[in-house]
Amino acid sequence: MKTYRWKRWITPYLLIIPAVVIMLVFVYIPVVENIYYSLFCWSSIDPTLKYIGLDNYARILNDKIIPIALRNNVLYALISVAFQVFFALILAAILESRVIRPRWGSIFRSAFFLPSVLAVTVVGITWQLIYSPNSGLINQFLRAIGLGNLAHAWLGEESTAIFAVIGVSQWQWVGYCMILFIVAIQAIPEELYEAARIDGASAMQQFFNITIPMIRETILVLTTITVIGGFKVFDIVWVMTAGGPNNASNTLGGYLYRVGFRNDEMGYASALATLLFVITFALTFIQLRIGRTGKES
Amino acid sequence: MKSKLLVLVSLVLLASLVLTACGAPAAGTESGGSKDEKVTIRFFHKWPEPEQLDYYNYVIAEYEKAHPNVKIEMEAASDEAYKDKIRVLMASGDVPDIYFSWAGEFSWKFARAGQALDLTDAMMNSDWKDKIVMAAVEPFKLNGKIYGVPMRINAKFMAYNKEIFAKYNLSVPTTWDEFLAVCETLKANGEVPIAFGNEFPWASAHYVGDFNAKLVDPETLKGDYLLTADANTLFTDPGYVEALRRFKMLGDLGYFNSGANGISHSNARSSFIAGKAAMFYLELEEFATLAQDRGDDWFGYFQLPGGTGGKGDPKLITGAPDGFMVYGKTKHPAEAIDFLKFVTSPEMGYEYVKRLGIPSAAVGAVTEDNSLPSVRGGLAQINAASGMALWMDTDMNIKIVEVYLPGMQALLTGSKTPEEVMKEVHDIAVTVQSELK
Repeated sequence: MKTYRWKRWITPYLLIIPAVVIMLVFVYIPVVENIYYSLFCWSSIDPTLKYIGLDNYARILNDKIIPIALRNNVLYALISVAFQVFFALILAAILESRVIRPRWGSIFRSAFFLPSVLAVTVVGITWQLIYSPNSGLINQFLRAIGLGNLAHAWLGEESTAIFAVIGVSQWQWVGYCMILFIVAIQAIPEELYEAARIDGASAMQQFFNITIPMIRETILVLTTITVIGGFKVFDIVWVMTAGGPNNASNTLGGYLYRVGFRNDEMGYASALATLLFVITFALTFIQLRIGRTGKES
Repeated sequence: MKSKLLVLVSLVLLASLVLTACGAPAAGTESGGSKDEKVTIRFFHKWPEPEQLDYYNYVIAEYEKAHPNVKIEMEAASDEAYKDKIRVLMASGDVPDIYFSWAGEFSWKFARAGQALDLTDAMMNSDWKDKIVMAAVEPFKLNGKIYGVPMRINAKFMAYNKEIFAKYNLSVPTTWDEFLAVCETLKANGEVPIAFGNEFPWASAHYVGDFNAKLVDPETLKGDYLLTADANTLFTDPGYVEALRRFKMLGDLGYFNSGANGISHSNARSSFIAGKAAMFYLELEEFATLAQDRGDDWFGYFQLPGGTGGKGDPKLITGAPDGFMVYGKTKHPAEAIDFLKFVTSPEMGYEYVKRLGIPSAAVGAVTEDNSLPSVRGGLAQINAASGMALWMDTDMNIKIVEVYLPGMQALLTGSKTPEEVMKEVHDIAVTVQSELK
């Protein structure tokens, strides 16, 4: 009897050990190592460590590319929240409305969801062609309707490049977030809406007083994920502009990759990675505190 | 019973995880032993295109046939990706036995860090030296020692569409002013004078590097590029500003297609091939691509004229050999060198030119029956040039490149002036120089 209880006690721990080991080896130990390495000057080609203390962090304060990258990350996060949370929520509510859902719901759902199953490289290269200054679809369209003066080298101009890339990201992910909202909306008991309708609530009132409060958790989780995604974005920017022209579309992630693997400054790249970690960690913390997710009310 | 099983399963899982996590990545080469043992040589280059891979597969098959105890493992990543991947491999210590490198600073940094094997003895004390164009070995030398073997010879030319030139009675320009006049005529007639794709700014570096070589005194230039000059004078020669000004002028006057920063080099090339632009600045190795569908009669080529007033050498041609280096800590130096010798041999070089149309650095590899007339003509011009101005983006410290090249993009969009860019280049050069000391 005694041994049985002991086993009951140990089994769950044994079962979570594999996950803990994976997290330790691939996440937590590297995070600590990264902070350690950021105190040195070293490169990938010549990995001898030269201790320089906090010099790498001092350098971040004077680096002219950091403000550009941070600005782009903030833009990325804000625009993504606007589209992937607010716009996607509205889309979801419309597709779930009593008019659309029975007839067109599944068709629109699939249509909006489709871009998110494509590989980022495929999306990036396709949009490069669409944005192409002379032969691209957008500029040809603008010229055809007589708005040729609005044509830009979208990815090639410092003022438009980051917005062009952010736009593609929205195109790709709005449908995905929409599906998550739809799932959440479908989980709301139909009786609530029925009762509201009997009391004479309009569609708008139902949306604000039933839908939004009921899917609050989903909204918060998606906002968190989107904001963090905005700060760690790398792939789509790298594929489409590689941070150019003249670093105008660089983001923290892209810049840190460039510093580490192009400029041969692994120590400084580690310091940038620490900065990125602190930012995303702080944001998650704040958002989770505000939302107090994980605790069902 | 059930719980016992669970404990057992989790223990096994745990053990397997720990073992995989701790097992160091096996270096691709097994420890060398007797001659009969199978030796694996890892070979990493920057040509993943199918025609190129076909060629290298052929070379490897030929070599393995003659050397049954050697196995060659090939890997390839394209240009921009290669620059990152080789660094990742170096950092991980999982370095291929033979790897690609551009000549000049790009290769020297490997040599300085002990990542490249000294090949001087292997080359100079054998017949290898007679089978390679020795002028192409020069830029792989550091402190008198040879660290790399050239595979191909490459240089930059301005190609032009003969039909468009004939239409406006234009002849090949020989001076900078004539060149501008040609551009002006083309533009006035509604043609795009020069196709230009600067999405990755190395494309602009080829223009500016060429201008620099022609406008700045060679000794000054060398001192600046290699950071041996006095800190106060680094990149302060007025020729650098003039070079950027010329480049900017081509953009400001509308001689480049619009939106160059948003177009890739290969897209620009396509528009030149399609006849949408009259000229295109390209590498000799791209001649084969131009000739792919229409033969090589439809285009001509010339060296970008240097113009007057510069202190540089107007007869320099911009270009460089590129080739291979052997990993400094390879376990099989003898086998790696032997394979490299085979790859760069005149026989394989002949096959290279025949299949790919790219000039090989092996002696006598380019002949009349395996190459395009334009390629032979280009090679003749390289031989006639007084020397080669190496690609500037692989010939100076990467940290300077990362300031200089984005600066060129900023010139095109008008957000920076040539003076501002050179000021930033000077500042970063001073920083880098002090770090290297």
